[in-house]
Amino acid sequence: MSAEVLLFYVVGALLLLSAGAMIRSNDPVHAALWMVGNFLLTAVLYLVLQAPFIAAVQVIVYAGAIMVLFLFVVMLLGAQPMTRSEPIAGHRATAVFGLVALVALLSVAVARAPAAGRMPPPLTGDFGSPEAIGQALFTDWVLPFEWVSLMLLVALIGAVMIARFGSQSEDPEETSG
Amino acid sequence: MNAVPLGHWLLLTTALFGVGAAGVLLRRNVMIVLMSVELMLNAVNIALVAAARAHGQIEGQLFVFFSLTVAAAEVAVGLALVVAIWRSLGRTDVDDVSVMHG
Amino acid sequence: MLDLSPDWGVILTHFAPELILVIGALGLLSYDLYVRGKDGLQPWITLGVLLAAALATGWLYTMDPAEVFEGRSAGEVFRSGAFLSDSFTHFFRLMSVLTAGLVTLSGIAYMRGKTAFKGEFYAFVLFAALAMNLMAGANDLIVIALGIEFLSLVSYILTGYIREDRLSIEGGLKYFLYGSITSAAMLFGLTYLYGIAGSTSLPVIAEAVRQPENLVVTHLSTFIVPAALFLVLAGIGFKVAIAPFHQWSPDAYQGAPTPVTAFLSVGPKAAGFAVMMRLFITVFGTPELSATWLGVLGALAGLTMILGNVAALTQSDVKRMMAYSSIAQAGYMLVGIAAFGGTALMGTTPLGAVLFFILAYLFTNLGAFAVIIAVDRLTGSSSVSAFAGLSKRSPFLAIALTIFFLSLIGIPPLSGFFGKFAVFGAAVASDMFGLAVVGVLTGVVSAVYYFQIVKTMYFGDPAEGGALRPSPGVVFVVATALVMTLIIGLVPQPFIEIANQAVTALEPIAGSMVAR
Repeated sequence: MSAEVLLFYVVGALLLLSAGAMIRSNDPVHAALWMVGNFLLTAVLYLVLQAPFIAAVQVIVYAGAIMVLFLFVVMLLGAQPMTRSEPIAGHRATAVFGLVALVALLSVAVARAPAAGRMPPPLTGDFGSPEAIGQALFTDWVLPFEWVSLMLLVALIGAVMIARFGSQSEDPEETSG
Repeated sequence: MNAVPLGHWLLLTTALFGVGAAGVLLRRNVMIVLMSVELMLNAVNIALVAAARAHGQIEGQLFVFFSLTVAAAEVAVGLALVVAIWRSLGRTDVDDVSVMHG
Repeated sequence: MLDLSPDWGVILTHFAPELILVIGALGLLSYDLYVRGKDGLQPWITLGVLLAAALATGWLYTMDPAEVFEGRSAGEVFRSGAFLSDSFTHFFRLMSVLTAGLVTLSGIAYMRGKTAFKGEFYAFVLFAALAMNLMAGANDLIVIALGIEFLSLVSYILTGYIREDRLSIEGGLKYFLYGSITSAAMLFGLTYLYGIAGSTSLPVIAEAVRQPENLVVTHLSTFIVPAALFLVLAGIGFKVAIAPFHQWSPDAYQGAPTPVTAFLSVGPKAAGFAVMMRLFITVFGTPELSATWLGVLGALAGLTMILGNVAALTQSDVKRMMAYSSIAQAGYMLVGIAAFGGTALMGTTPLGAVLFFILAYLFTNLGAFAVIIAVDRLTGSSSVSAFAGLSKRSPFLAIALTIFFLSLIGIPPLSGFFGKFAVFGAAVASDMFGLAVVGVLTGVVSAVYYFQIVKTMYFGDPAEGGALRPSPGVVFVVATALVMTLIIGLVPQPFIEIANQAVTALEPIAGSMVAR
């Protein structure tokens, strides 16, 4: 058993455990910490999969930026403990049943798919390196690249507009800050 | 056996996707629901990178690059909406924010 | 070494409408900084930009593809063929510009004073049009995903735009929660497709699923393709609001500022169906492969028509009723796609019928919404009681809304009749009698809830008496929509030809085609 296989099983198991712990947390701060753990384990899996650039981006963007955003909002709202009420009787049981069925179906579909047995081919040295990704991004994929930059601009303006403190009435000058 | 076939990766990510979906369906707090959505997207990203590895070509990694960016943009807007609803209501449980029915 | 694509001229030419929209939106944001959010030229700049984008699209329409593409096939603008600039894309480019333009015009008076962020509002309308354009031309899983996410993002922001209005924020949050969940499901489905084919390019995927070892119908044990398509359908079905992915729509429609509701009822539906057609028809459109999804699509169409029309019966808010009405209309469109294999009828192909239906629906629904926007602005309410006595307070609006409702029901000779006739005819022609019967019966049910409002308008007692004076923008939109509803109904032939020409680009990809 090679290191790759060992890492897959160990990290994969930890990944599922941290995810399960996250959705069971009653405290949003705990949930956020489990999520960071999950994201860092994911970065390890990306390294196993020969994707160093994506692994770095995962740590910086997800475990860094998105995480901070979540924690910031949790702190802003106050970390009140959460209720576990069931609004519609039987809703939880139905949801669990539906989910288990869906995941089971998808798993069978995946396991039987013709591509499932595909083993990873040997790769050239720079597969997944920043150079290789950058070259693809700025040639074939320059349209989507420009496009996500616009999406980030839209998200930025929209988020500031919706979450800004103060009244939104006529004159933004008076109410800024 | 010194490598993991694509099918095993896809099974792992399907399970992770299921855990995230469970969080979405079972938890009522908006913050936990948003984090669970991030879990689902994480599962998608691992599956994409695994498929890119199995096919030895890089489009899957680019897909992940884009989907990370999209996730960041979505989270920003979603959290802004959560903050706004919390301001007008003081609560963030999915059912408490609801006054529209029918 | 970077190998930059040598034909930037060709690329820029074919992105002319999109470039105009981007430059216009960014320019508008800069202009808004300059006037500091005061009332200014924002709506008129928006309309100018949209007009320019429409003219650019028309210019592309008239071009000879062979000449512009320098011999490249299928009108692919990108080296990797990720975006197609073909007649199908052009059709939806026009739809997006028309939607954005009519929404802008009817929303000018409504948005005034509601928000300090005017320039941003109109810039977001332009961004929404841009996202629709990019969805229409998407020929690659990455571009499809980004297009849907982009339009979703803009829609969430626009829905939650009026921050002081609790319903607006609530609608935006619900829209966002449903949207992020379904889009995660869709991305997972797209990942499965990528895993099967080893490429994100639609033609390459089409090639891969035609390989004997991947043929799902002959090997029932491998149902990865139906599983993937169902997950993808969750994402697209959310955008176009078909059952069972529609739950967000009544709340988002009711909470959103009314012009945004008008946009949501047409824009995302048109663009979502464009993506659905491109993906399902060109990749999975052969007789064997379509067996994996036609049944599901037909069942969802039936469910959507029944659920939308029945739930609309009990609504007391007109925006909410229109949400269910537009769910039902999405069901009718879905019938046309489920029947895509059928023979031609009345000069339309089944997919041409869907495009024709969308065109007719665009004008009728935006016209109806222009009336609702005016009533909502002048009475401050969108409940059914706000429409009481509208025939006395504004006879023009009352008559116009009645005609739009008649068209939505499908009464000849209005445009809605031919739309329904074409899609149900296609269903009959491809032996889907059940769907056609459900469609006709639920259409009868829909008459009940539309006529409740007509009755209130003509026989209800108004809470207050004064005459309602709609803004010039609303009058213009209502008049345009009325004229188009009548013209498309009375002289459908030219419009059918436009729709048919657009769908010629959607032939299922032949087995031997190689993408790059």
